[in-house]
Amino acid sequence: MASQQIPNLNTLLRGRGGRGRGRQRGRGGTASSGDYHGSASSADTIVQRTDDDAAGSRMSAVEIGYLHDPFAPAFFEGGVTRRFPIMNRGTYVRTTAIDALVDRFLDTHPSQPKQIISFGAGSDTRYFRILSRRAMKNLVYHEIDFPSNTSKKVAAIRRSPLTLQTLQSVRGTEEEVKISVSGDSLHSSTYNIHPVDLRVLADNTDNAESVTERLPHLSQTSPTLLLSECCLIYLPPAAADAILTAFANRFIPPAIPLGLIIYEPIRPNDPFGQVMISNLATRGIHLQTLKKYSSLSRQKQRLRTAGFQGGQMAADVDYLWEQWVHENEKERVSGLEMLDEMEEWRLLAQHYCVAWGWRNGEHNDASLFQEAWSALQAQDNEQDDEDM
Amino acid sequence: MSDLDKAIEQLRACRPIPEPQVRELCYKARELLIEEGNVVGVDAPVTICGDIHGQFHDLMELFRVGGDVPDTNYLFMGDFVDRGFYSLESFLLLLCLKVRYPDRITLIRGNHESRQITTVYGFYDECLRKYGSANVWRYCCEVFDYLALGALVTGTATNLEPASTVFADPASQNSMLGENDDIEIEILNSNNEIINRFPRSSPQSTPNMKDEKSEPGSSPIAETPTNTGPAGTGASGHSSGTRNNDGGAVLCVHGGLSPLIDTIDKIRLLDRKQEVPHEGAMCDLLWSDPDEIDGWGLSPRGAGFLFGADIVKCFNQKNDISLIARAHQLVMEGFKEMFDSRIVTVWSAPNYCYRCGNVAAILELGEDGSNGGFIPRSNGDAGRSSGPQSSLKELEQPREREWGPGRRYRVFESAPQTTSRGMPAKKPVADYFL
Repeated sequence: MASQQIPNLNTLLRGRGGRGRGRQRGRGGTASSGDYHGSASSADTIVQRTDDDAAGSRMSAVEIGYLHDPFAPAFFEGGVTRRFPIMNRGTYVRTTAIDALVDRFLDTHPSQPKQIISFGAGSDTRYFRILSRRAMKNLVYHEIDFPSNTSKKVAAIRRSPLTLQTLQSVRGTEEEVKISVSGDSLHSSTYNIHPVDLRVLADNTDNAESVTERLPHLSQTSPTLLLSECCLIYLPPAAADAILTAFANRFIPPAIPLGLIIYEPIRPNDPFGQVMISNLATRGIHLQTLKKYSSLSRQKQRLRTAGFQGGQMAADVDYLWEQWVHENEKERVSGLEMLDEMEEWRLLAQHYCVAWGWRNGEHNDASLFQEAWSALQAQDNEQDDEDM
Repeated sequence: MSDLDKAIEQLRACRPIPEPQVRELCYKARELLIEEGNVVGVDAPVTICGDIHGQFHDLMELFRVGGDVPDTNYLFMGDFVDRGFYSLESFLLLLCLKVRYPDRITLIRGNHESRQITTVYGFYDECLRKYGSANVWRYCCEVFDYLALGALVTGTATNLEPASTVFADPASQNSMLGENDDIEIEILNSNNEIINRFPRSSPQSTPNMKDEKSEPGSSPIAETPTNTGPAGTGASGHSSGTRNNDGGAVLCVHGGLSPLIDTIDKIRLLDRKQEVPHEGAMCDLLWSDPDEIDGWGLSPRGAGFLFGADIVKCFNQKNDISLIARAHQLVMEGFKEMFDSRIVTVWSAPNYCYRCGNVAAILELGEDGSNGGFIPRSNGDAGRSSGPQSSLKELEQPREREWGPGRRYRVFESAPQTTSRGMPAKKPVADYFL
């Protein structure tokens, strides 16, 4: 690993420009057979760049003190633009709510080997933050994203002594971390960055033996948590559904406990939602599943249909701020910046939700997710039962 | 054409004026504002506007819908700057108009007219970007310190003269109003077409209506425009019969009331020429919000208080005012009357932050011509001599004023963003979580 601390920048550049693009073109071929259209690769580029937004928001929230994340700077290039207080608060709620779900998953039967698979992880720092809080030797973490994003991430990890140190802290000294020549993948028995287009996994009609070829070190025996933070929503509904089905059936055998956390916008039909759709459309961003999964109840129905029969829960960010954030923490966060407009905050926060669901397994720890999550407070449907 | 008129012309085209000119303008404005009391007296007719927040093109739309200065008498309740991308042009234009037509436009202070808030919410950065230094921001902040904290509108009429005879939905015309009904509330769209009308007299309503728990309801616009139901406007529902057409005084503040202020005279006694403090009466007036609570409550904003219907009722009675008009809170329908029409929120920034999808509104209060133009001066001066006529009236009337002013709301949407040459301006980017 030591030799990898000084990356060969030329290799990285070649990796990004050469092979990376080649892969994208290859995906374009796959795309044309699917139900999305238009200039696939430029649309993909726009989606890939949404990660820059997320990273910028994270840095803003970290700098002002909303979040403690010493790893955020390693994955952020350029100057930090200070976001408005409501954006910082939203980033805070989103991050801490998903942290709470993930922590409960990890804390339930802590000695049990577990696996987390993060879709469209981009520059997300969650794995490093988990490692900095606890020694998770029996956790396997996977991130799946476009090669353009994974190569940036791998390069950032190699550049940062802190991330390298953190990775080394969990692994046996002997174990090797493999970084591809093109610099867009990273593989080890605990942490894996896969430069894979999720749509390929959904379209894949290969037999099960090829699963670990596509996703090295994927465990098909450990209880697994799937994460989609603003990822599946950029895909056509059929593709988004197919990916969940593929993971729930082919990649993770039905006997294994499986959980899913989704964070994405909801409520597209009111004035705020309509403006959101049109504003993002001018940037070329299309929230393709938003109409289909437009409310808390529809998100829960989606989880049920996708095979997460054990339980389905959901809450919008406004609710999560009110109900999940402790009073003293609320006070601390409110004290960081003066929030000038409460109505605007509620409006914004009611248009993002966290939905979580699980299926129980058939062997040991079968009801792991049930134990971890069922006691959490979720929002009633009442407010959005009508067709939003 | 004077330099001031040239500056107005330039700012109307959304082009900033040179720094030395800003400095001179701010100096003149301060000289003018220093003469104003903390509570400015304003005669009806007047058009009351809420938050603008640097949405310059929407301010132009407001003037199109409400009439131009000086033809229309305006009262802006603060929050001229921050959030939008043209705080500078918006505020300087309003300030130029103030200096040019001091009797036709009143500006009071909002919580964003503050050094601390403008450094977080955009105005400071905008000045730095447009001038390369913070000088202009500093000049503007000095003006902020001199802005009045409130205004008291007198001489309002209880009934509206119909502004228009065209209904947005002709089918609704007949079901709305009889010919002879007095109009208490009229809601118009930006094309001067009537969306809805509410008569003063309502045979079905009982005198007890005021004691009922009122819905926090908002304007009926976002719902079905043809609905003639009560729609939460809290129309007073009193039976007609009196000849008196005085709608009473209207107190205008940016935020709301303060537990430290029980009379308007106490506002008059504050030392306002300073940065908005973090607490105290001046802070509360600019930060507080009405809420469906009893008494006072803590504000989730971290400044000011929440206050309930009982507080408003008591304050209005004690100060002999019929209505509090305030801004400060985003309202999706542009305006929202609460507490049996004792307080109204007016919001004048459509599609706030280019993201919220809301409509905006302005509130027109008509002039009471029935008294030969005589305006009783007692309004808002609870302790002062008010002449034999109104003293007598006070004796024989219940403690609370029975009639509020007739209220005409003009509702408008966000204007298309164009430059002075008619080209679409750079589309502002709204933030989302991606």
